[in-house]
Amino acid sequence: MTTETLPPVAPAPAPAHSRGNRKQARRNTLIGWTFILPNFLGFLAFTLIPVTAAFALSFMEWTSFTAPRWVGLENFQRMFQSDTFWVALRNTVVYALGHVPLTMALALVLALLLNRKLKGIGFFRVAIFFPYITSLVAVAVVWNMLFSPDNGPINQFLNVIGIAETPGWTSSSDWAMPAVIITSVWRDMGYYMILYLAGLQAIPTELYEAAEVDGASPWQRFWNVTIPSLRPTTFFVVVMLTVSSFKVFDLIVVMTNGGPGRATTVLSQLIYQEGIGEGKFGYSSAISLVLFVIVLTVTVLQFKIQQRRER
Amino acid sequence: MKRTTLAAIALAVTAGLGLTGCAGAAGPAEPQSQDGKTRLTVSVWNYEGTPEFKALFDGYEAANPDVDIEPVDILADDYPQKVTTMLAGGDTTDVLTMKNVIDYARYANNGQLQEINGVVDTVGKDDLAGLDAFDIDGKYYAAPYRQDFWLLYYNKELLKAAGVEEPKDLTWDEYTALAQKLTTEAGGKKVYGTYHHIWRSVVQAIAAAQNGGDQISGEYGFFEDQYNTTLELQKSGATLDFGTAKSQKTSYRTMFETGQAAMMPMGTWYIAGVLQAKKDGKTDVDWGLAPLPQKDSNGKVSTFGSPTAFAVNKNAAHSEEARKFIEWAAGEEGAKAISKIGVVPALQNDAVTDTYFQLEGLPTDELSKKAFSPDETALEMPVSDKSAATDKILNQEHDLIMVGERSVADGITEMGKRVKSEVLGQ
Repeated sequence: MTTETLPPVAPAPAPAHSRGNRKQARRNTLIGWTFILPNFLGFLAFTLIPVTAAFALSFMEWTSFTAPRWVGLENFQRMFQSDTFWVALRNTVVYALGHVPLTMALALVLALLLNRKLKGIGFFRVAIFFPYITSLVAVAVVWNMLFSPDNGPINQFLNVIGIAETPGWTSSSDWAMPAVIITSVWRDMGYYMILYLAGLQAIPTELYEAAEVDGASPWQRFWNVTIPSLRPTTFFVVVMLTVSSFKVFDLIVVMTNGGPGRATTVLSQLIYQEGIGEGKFGYSSAISLVLFVIVLTVTVLQFKIQQRRER
Repeated sequence: MKRTTLAAIALAVTAGLGLTGCAGAAGPAEPQSQDGKTRLTVSVWNYEGTPEFKALFDGYEAANPDVDIEPVDILADDYPQKVTTMLAGGDTTDVLTMKNVIDYARYANNGQLQEINGVVDTVGKDDLAGLDAFDIDGKYYAAPYRQDFWLLYYNKELLKAAGVEEPKDLTWDEYTALAQKLTTEAGGKKVYGTYHHIWRSVVQAIAAAQNGGDQISGEYGFFEDQYNTTLELQKSGATLDFGTAKSQKTSYRTMFETGQAAMMPMGTWYIAGVLQAKKDGKTDVDWGLAPLPQKDSNGKVSTFGSPTAFAVNKNAAHSEEARKFIEWAAGEEGAKAISKIGVVPALQNDAVTDTYFQLEGLPTDELSKKAFSPDETALEMPVSDKSAATDKILNQEHDLIMVGERSVADGITEMGKRVKSEVLGQ
């Protein structure tokens, strides 16, 4: 690795010998704290305290008008018996299983295609990245039009290529989730493509040259040089994608609002409906606690797998 | 030493900023405006697009020069959530507008509103349409100033072209036949016989009103006929298909104002909308009103509706002034003020009705007038602490029946099953 030859970026802190040094160190720490204090206060007030409160609230009943009442595990009991919770959990998992691998694969393919010296390459890169910086509501509304069951361009195209039984997309329970996944993959792949591009450009060309000298085919070079060298990027992409998949909310609210029926209702939406919509803040905190545990478990698992691979 | 001082100052400043930030947000509202007038605050939604608020406020200020009304404008879609959050935070807005009776029940049952029996008595219990919905054990915590109900809008030109004079005394079967007859396609322009908007009430609240059904009972057999009627209309192409209307977020106003639909069951709030659109030159539709089609042809008209009301916040900064305002707004003066812009007031007496029909642009034929006095107006959704949760389930299952994923019978069974297990706890 090239980094090993570089000097360390920051000098290691000198061991505190005298009282003066210790005082100086304390002073530095204090100054450091004051620098992060403004930001930390915001984090404390709007993230840390509410999150901690949500943990406590999940064991209480609270309508926001009256004082919270301790109910123990009642919220969880109700949740695990609720049909809608399981439907939302299943939908969330289905969404993640569709969104994560598809976005990753397409982002990688695009990165490989755009990682070469071509005329106008900048234009193509920007074009692919564009959906990511477009307003999400606009994206959802336009895709809804494309998916229109009767006269949407997608179904007209399917008709032209000879598919008579076109799917109902967002008006069908079976096709609403695929429609949402397609839209979200289209939107996100540009962002992850940029990450992969950065990863690809960090692979030293010597590795490819050496592989070529050894007589490796392009396919072998891809499998044995590109993929392993991209592992840190892939790991980052998988973790980010998984977390974002589990907390998907906005796109679904605008595109289908959880329908038809409950076909695309996901956990974050259920949390919103139960809490903000119906004022059952205890119950919705319990659901958010479950979502938190799921995301935490999946992320920790991914870190464990990555560590084993690196060994 | 110098550095420590610097750090201390930085610390003090940031902490101070944080504190003042909080204090600023939670600070009490200024009780008096600068010119000595009482500043009365009223929560409203979409102030620009809901002209009744301005009509009421201007009218009240003209009659009471010592009061200055300040609207607290809230995005219509977020209205209930935002008001809930405000109340939970001890907000002191004086008058709270109750957008629907379900939210009203929630606030009243949680002790967030002041009892205003005195106001209701002064205005006149017998003349206030929709007042029953606000009765909680003999106490009223809000007074309705506006009462919307459903009727049938129709395009006179399109009906005349099809040789029909007016949609008079229709049953649902006759209505279906008429809608199919009115459906045409010429030169690539499709005209639908009618347009049924995607709301579940178009099917379910009509069924409940005309069959005497209870939408929070968990027994939904009474929906069946109305679903069959609506699905038949959709299947025969006499109305825009539900899936398209929903995914394209079709505007019912556009459907009617551009002549894409010859008839449309809709609430009376749309009267002000059509009038405005015609005034702005956005449409030249020649429209009329008829009573909602009925289950039986016995001449009795049953429809459904929902009142809008004003309430006094428990934490109001000016309780007395708030009561006075509500007394005026729900009373004859307020009723006349909103009548003038085409909004149907809750207070119904001859003077008010006269003012209403003097409105420029309002159809004046006998049928339109008849449409204005239904024999029975049921509440759109019964008021209870179960209403909100039931509403959600009925909405989801309504979608599935309308897009054809569940048969009517299966959908009705599923509604009952889910409401019983998830809401009623049976």
